[in-house]
Amino acid sequence: MTNMALYKREMKGSIKLLVIFSAVITLYVSIIIGMYDPELMKTLDGFVEAMPELMASVGMKADAATLLGFMVSYLYGFILLIFPMLFCILRGNALIAKYVDKGSMALLTAAPVKRRTIAFTQMKVLVSGILLLILYSTILEFICAESGFPGELDITSLIMLNGGLLCLHLFIGSICFLSSCLFSDTKYSIGFGAGIPILMYVLQMLANVGGDAETAKYFTFFTLFHPDGIIAGESQAAVSSLILLAGAIILYALGIIIFDRKDLHL
Amino acid sequence: MSIIKVERLVRDYGGGKGVFDVSFHVDQGEAFGFLGPNGAGKTTTIRHLMGFLKPASGECSINGLDCWRERDKVQANLGYIPGEISFFEDLSGTEFLKFIAEYRKIGIQNRREELLERFELDPRNKIKKMSKGMKQKLGIVAAFMHDPDILILDEPTSGLDPLMQNRFIDLIAEEKKHGKTILMSSHMFEEVERTCDRIGIIRKGRMVAVDAAASLRERHTRSYTVTLESESAAEAFAIDFNGMRKGLKVTVTTKQSLEEIFMNYYGGEKHDEHGAV
Repeated sequence: MTNMALYKREMKGSIKLLVIFSAVITLYVSIIIGMYDPELMKTLDGFVEAMPELMASVGMKADAATLLGFMVSYLYGFILLIFPMLFCILRGNALIAKYVDKGSMALLTAAPVKRRTIAFTQMKVLVSGILLLILYSTILEFICAESGFPGELDITSLIMLNGGLLCLHLFIGSICFLSSCLFSDTKYSIGFGAGIPILMYVLQMLANVGGDAETAKYFTFFTLFHPDGIIAGESQAAVSSLILLAGAIILYALGIIIFDRKDLHL
Repeated sequence: MSIIKVERLVRDYGGGKGVFDVSFHVDQGEAFGFLGPNGAGKTTTIRHLMGFLKPASGECSINGLDCWRERDKVQANLGYIPGEISFFEDLSGTEFLKFIAEYRKIGIQNRREELLERFELDPRNKIKKMSKGMKQKLGIVAAFMHDPDILILDEPTSGLDPLMQNRFIDLIAEEKKHGKTILMSSHMFEEVERTCDRIGIIRKGRMVAVDAAASLRERHTRSYTVTLESESAAEAFAIDFNGMRKGLKVTVTTKQSLEEIFMNYYGGEKHDEHGAV
């Protein structure tokens, strides 16, 4: 099902983005975990009090009690959502639609390799990239927390939390991948592959502000990723994550089937 | 035995574009020239043979295998040069050929070096920096290096200089000698005339004629015999006009242009609109 030569080539193509996003995540995660300090917490809470809507829109709430709660507030509303999402958008588009649009997909399809194998390999490349980013973030969070505040981090909860985050990004990746398989024109592939996740994120920001806008949460899949619920051990939060995972599997499979059956004007 | 078979293939893009009821076959060890102006439907037909497009109606098969349903099996023994080659621009030529070999899971390609030498191509440059001719040569090497029995070549000599075009024609002749089955598209009559046994002419998506190259040539060449005053004048005339001299008589032959040949088959209408389909 996997063509190793293609997998290797595409993983090489992912390296640059992975390094850039890892660097950005490293910067933010280390700074923010370093800021976990009762004194500075007051400052941040001050911001939240001063402009609650703005801070809430990026998922930052006051009074994060534990280190993990603090991380949820300041990392899982923006940084760890946006950067892996950007990775999904950029790679998702490049793995299929860009090749079809440019015509170099002819090099891959004019060979005794099934189209299903090509699409599955490209999917694996995308999933591998997401896995690496989340895995790296987890290790990084662990190291930053343990070096700054030994023993304060609930590791099981962190793993659960990032498991949920992984499900979310696999789902975002599946939207980008499906869009890439569906459209032969990068204009549309990027339009839908980037447009849908970004629109959903904007709706999520709206919903976070609260009030009437909170109804927006019923229109965005980001609601299914519920970090507070996961660290509180709520079963509903776990079910939501599994829904994301199931959705991702369906969309990936759909993408592969569509690519297998579509006409290619190469 | 027919290796490549196209039967009543239809693909309508609307506006008169597409292919309509195209049928032809290419036998084992035969070179078939697929001739037509830009936008006539050559590439569309080839895309069906390659399994890129699903026939709206009709059928394409290679070696008895359906080109759409069993495309990966068809591809195992096929070499293809696309009409417009788009490479992975980030690679060098060497890296690209290595990738294709690994991707196709072909072992050591003893043909690779021979082909690179034949076309005087140094593949160490980045593909991005290569000229159109160099890219075309790279495409030729990639299509032939796994020594396939069937070759589908979409305007394979575009971008090549006359010397390299000749080398390519020699290569085709050798391949044919080795029993390879070749389908080659072109918009130049001279090119297919020199390489192919049979020629199919397509225009506006319809097969206008399928005939042996020799009889097409006969039908579309005109000869004139002129008598000159002296042997030396005849000699000079023969050289200048590429004619055959017999004493004072010189016979010159002209080939009709592709357009004129189409005019023969279709009458009135002039050259087709441009635009690849």
